[in-house]
Amino acid sequence: MLGEFLHILAAAAVSWILFVTVDILFKLPETGGVSGASAIARDIEAGGGALAGGTMMGNIVCSPDASAGTLLAACGVYVAGIPGGLAAAVLVYIGNRICHDPGYAGTTGAVLATFVIYGFTQIGFAATDFIAGMVIAILTIQGLSHTHASRLLARLWRVRE
Amino acid sequence: MDEILVLLFAAVALIGALGTYLQRDPFNKLIAIGITYGGVLPFIIDRGYLDVAIVVSLIIPISTIIILPLMRRDLRDT
Amino acid sequence: MIAIYVVAAIAVFAVIRATIERNTGRKLPYVNVMNFAVAGAVVLLLDHPLALAAAAAYFVGSTLEANAVASTYAGGERRG
Repeated sequence: MLGEFLHILAAAAVSWILFVTVDILFKLPETGGVSGASAIARDIEAGGGALAGGTMMGNIVCSPDASAGTLLAACGVYVAGIPGGLAAAVLVYIGNRICHDPGYAGTTGAVLATFVIYGFTQIGFAATDFIAGMVIAILTIQGLSHTHASRLLARLWRVRE
Repeated sequence: MDEILVLLFAAVALIGALGTYLQRDPFNKLIAIGITYGGVLPFIIDRGYLDVAIVVSLIIPISTIIILPLMRRDLRDT
Repeated sequence: MIAIYVVAAIAVFAVIRATIERNTGRKLPYVNVMNFAVAGAVVLLLDHPLALAAAAAYFVGSTLEANAVASTYAGGERRG
């Protein structure tokens, strides 16, 4: 019981690092992909957050990016191993095209996450740990405090620049 | 699906329904309707009706998109 | 199988936060957390290859819904 909980927390840390890295490498905080993302960024900034972090959070809301790729890759690995993860990458790519997004961040994140999660299943982690861990990771970005999360993301984005 | 999960997902659906009733802004009402659907979907999945779940997942956003132009602020205010 | 209880509890938490928040733009990220949680719960409830397709369909559909709501919200606010 406790061991599984620790596994979930470790998986949350791994997937947090994975999707934030991929998102920042693909310059999500730079500009809002659609007008809705810019509106969310403006509202978060009005609530006391930073604009770059708010833009990235708006982009996460408005199109499936690396975080969605990580979640669906974890689901795919749980259902069908590595082929399931790659099928999830294809589904993320289709979803990106539906939402008027180039779709490179989501697809890259899904393919990368497939192999990372498969590697962790070889050393004792279960794929379900990564599904719950990814939900916890997205909760820390989008669900706890928009002000602090957007400031943290803006600081990471300044490092990337 | 045991009693705890039934309670949690039913809570999601009920909070969404109550939120739809309580919100004043039409956008917030639409978002709350989406929350209600998110609480209902696990019950469809739990019975094994995957085809129903896929079809409803595609119909709900399309119906929202059809309703959205009716709720534009400039149109509503005139 | 503690994972599905964690996911369901996070869904309830996110929904409560989304209902309390009054600003539409700040409400959408909380709803996004609930979409992640429900998409994960779908696969955790039923271990079947089609469950992956159902989770992806739900996730893409709800993202499209949030996208459309946010875009219309932005357009309406700019004109108003």
